[in-house]
Amino acid sequence: MDENCTNLWQKLSAALKPQVSADTFKRWFSAVELVDATEGSLTFRVPNNIYQFWIESNHMAALQAAIVTAFGAPREVNFLSPSEPADDTAAADGNRVEEDKSDSGRGARPTGSALGLNPRNTFESFVVGPNNEIAHAASLAVAQSPAKTYNPLFVYGGVGLGKTHLMQAIGQFVLAKKKNTRVMYLSSELFINEFIDAIQHSNLVKFRKRYRQADLLLIDDIQFLGGKERSQEEFFHTFNTLFDGHKQIVLSSDRPASEISNLEHRLVSRFEWGLTAELQPPDAETRMAILRKKARTMQIKLRDEVLEFLANRIRTNVRRLEGALMRVASFASLSGKELTNEVVEHLLKDILQEEARHSITIEQIQRRVAEHFDVRIADMTSKRRPANIAFPRQVAMYLSRELTKASLNEIGDAFGGRDHGTVLHACKLVKKRMKEQDALRQTISFIDSSLKR
Amino acid sequence: MKFSVTKEKLLEGLQQVQNVVSTRTTLPILSNVLLQANGNEVHLTTTDLDVGVRGSFEAEIEKEGATTLPARRLFTIVRELPSSEIQFDVDGKNAASIRSGQSFFKILGLPEEEFPPLPKFENAKVVTIRQKDLRDGLRKTAYAISTDETRYVLNGVLFSFKENKLTLVATDGRRLAMVDLELEFPRSHEADIIVPTKAVTELQRLLMDDGEVKVSVGNGQIAFDLNKTLLVSKLIEGNYPNYRQVIPSETKERVTLERETFLNSLRRVSLLASEKSNSIKLNFSKNNIEITANTPEVGEAKESLPVTYKGREFSIAFNPEFLMAPLRNLVEDEVFLDLIDEMSPGVLKIQTPFLYVLMPMRISS
Repeated sequence: MDENCTNLWQKLSAALKPQVSADTFKRWFSAVELVDATEGSLTFRVPNNIYQFWIESNHMAALQAAIVTAFGAPREVNFLSPSEPADDTAAADGNRVEEDKSDSGRGARPTGSALGLNPRNTFESFVVGPNNEIAHAASLAVAQSPAKTYNPLFVYGGVGLGKTHLMQAIGQFVLAKKKNTRVMYLSSELFINEFIDAIQHSNLVKFRKRYRQADLLLIDDIQFLGGKERSQEEFFHTFNTLFDGHKQIVLSSDRPASEISNLEHRLVSRFEWGLTAELQPPDAETRMAILRKKARTMQIKLRDEVLEFLANRIRTNVRRLEGALMRVASFASLSGKELTNEVVEHLLKDILQEEARHSITIEQIQRRVAEHFDVRIADMTSKRRPANIAFPRQVAMYLSRELTKASLNEIGDAFGGRDHGTVLHACKLVKKRMKEQDALRQTISFIDSSLKR
Repeated sequence: MKFSVTKEKLLEGLQQVQNVVSTRTTLPILSNVLLQANGNEVHLTTTDLDVGVRGSFEAEIEKEGATTLPARRLFTIVRELPSSEIQFDVDGKNAASIRSGQSFFKILGLPEEEFPPLPKFENAKVVTIRQKDLRDGLRKTAYAISTDETRYVLNGVLFSFKENKLTLVATDGRRLAMVDLELEFPRSHEADIIVPTKAVTELQRLLMDDGEVKVSVGNGQIAFDLNKTLLVSKLIEGNYPNYRQVIPSETKERVTLERETFLNSLRRVSLLASEKSNSIKLNFSKNNIEITANTPEVGEAKESLPVTYKGREFSIAFNPEFLMAPLRNLVEDEVFLDLIDEMSPGVLKIQTPFLYVLMPMRISS
């Protein structure tokens, strides 16, 4: 321990001794070393974890009182067990630092976990792929300089694609950098409940104060505000106060702001004010990367074939992907059986069935496209080919090729017995036109995403 | 598979295994019980992949075979059956017909092959313990297990095999319970392992007054073979903290207390321990302990307990629940409470090797 720490520890020891019994001091504190002291926090090295458990459970009050006596203000207390390296030596590996922080953070009160932030949800543990690049980059930018870049940041995407992960990562990144930032993370449902509570007990002033003093407000699942008029109004004012005070706001939703039903127009326009980033389902490579990362952090070894199998079969949802991995891993470790694809398939029967239900059929595509272009479904299979019918038919063929596993021949059959050359021509034609016409590309991506929902 | 059995035997068999089945499982097969009929016995197995139990009951078997059936449902049906005689008939599609008196039930099961097998224990270290000893040891310690999931190494009981002794330890950071059992085993079998709470709870239900239990410690797993039943469990990975650090080396005052009397007094007085501070005060004076509790704006309670005590006068406060827990689980008539001062931990002891360390609460007034 360096000289500064030694001095501080002596001062603290002197303040601590009258607080606890002589035996307690000798037993629990004589072996403790102060290894790091900053403005807001103290880090103690203890010989093993029983010291941390016992001091945390029994002597925290005495220790905090001593800290106040010695240094005039409370500080956050962290513990280091010998298995964990001290912070300054571990800086080389970004991931490791993060883990240490979350581990030792348990000792202190006002850390991320107390705010409902899961220490596992950090930027380091977030797997970036083409599906979520923008959202990730925007979040990181916001975390690095809150309220300077994109305000508000609006992140949206389907279930289990990482909205909550990103929001919590922002919160923890900001907290780790500046300890005394007032970060608030909550779901919009909690906001509504607390608002109702505040009305009931008529302490709206306190409620407003609480939210309007935040430096960083993270609200998850904002779509639940839809249809709640009073809450929307309250949130509108909170939003304005924070925004005018140059405080960062981050919102997440399962759909774009404009599609949230019964959301006031003035809120929609405010949500779209800053940056809107979409999270899409991960592609095959990203899914593989997620599985590898997860397997490594959980310290499980599975053969690449098994991981590939999972990545290929579970497409829609990262949470489900991780659940499947966990299930396979725990089965493997308990039964010790060789994991073949058949075994895995059997094990994950219910999940795979659920996935299959989400797969898109040619019929759905035909219906959706016909609806969009306002032609009859029968036209999809008919022999007539004026341009206003032929083109939608070609779009539908293209989408069938992209979204289903059907062969060219099968697609041709489904479109009134056309041969595979016709289908191939349609695909090429649509691709070419998509390159040339922005409007068409947007139309097709709109149909595409509405089919996947 | 076809057999007939009495209701009592079947119920008893199911009761042994059904607690392991978790109600909210993602893997449907895990809510089922595996039934295997051969010879004159039907074996029952359940598992949640962490803990597995295997038991059996005697039956008249007409046709051997195996299947799996939903455990909870089967149990509730059997419990309600009107007659003592039960006929079981399972067809090739794992549909079980259950007949008893005028009742008929048909329940659909899943094939035996889907059921995950219990782990094998080869080259495991085996130690034999008297069932009664282990049951009493667990009873004296298990209540102190931590439920705080962030301290996962404390979510179980430590089994420390050392120097011909098995030491059982449980702690949650505020109190610690420890029991030593004399036991003979070779040096090579010395080990420290942590058995998770669920396995401890199930084990306590299965252990009997007589007979022995064969404990096999394998790689990250443990098996308790109780002759008729078998319990296997994963172990908690990680190192159990150095609990010896917690035990005070010397104490100053000792009082001998009648366990029942002390417990009853505590229970009465604790009725007025406030929820907020949740503490109960012991005031020691010559040959007397006064136990007091009060809740501001509610009231107070006081009770005197004559004891033999010649030490200095002082007061110490404890969490009443933590003080009563060991008293409830001990059977001895006499307990010893050893104390140092109002800020140091109290130690509860009995004649046999048992120890309970409890941290005092701060006395505010």
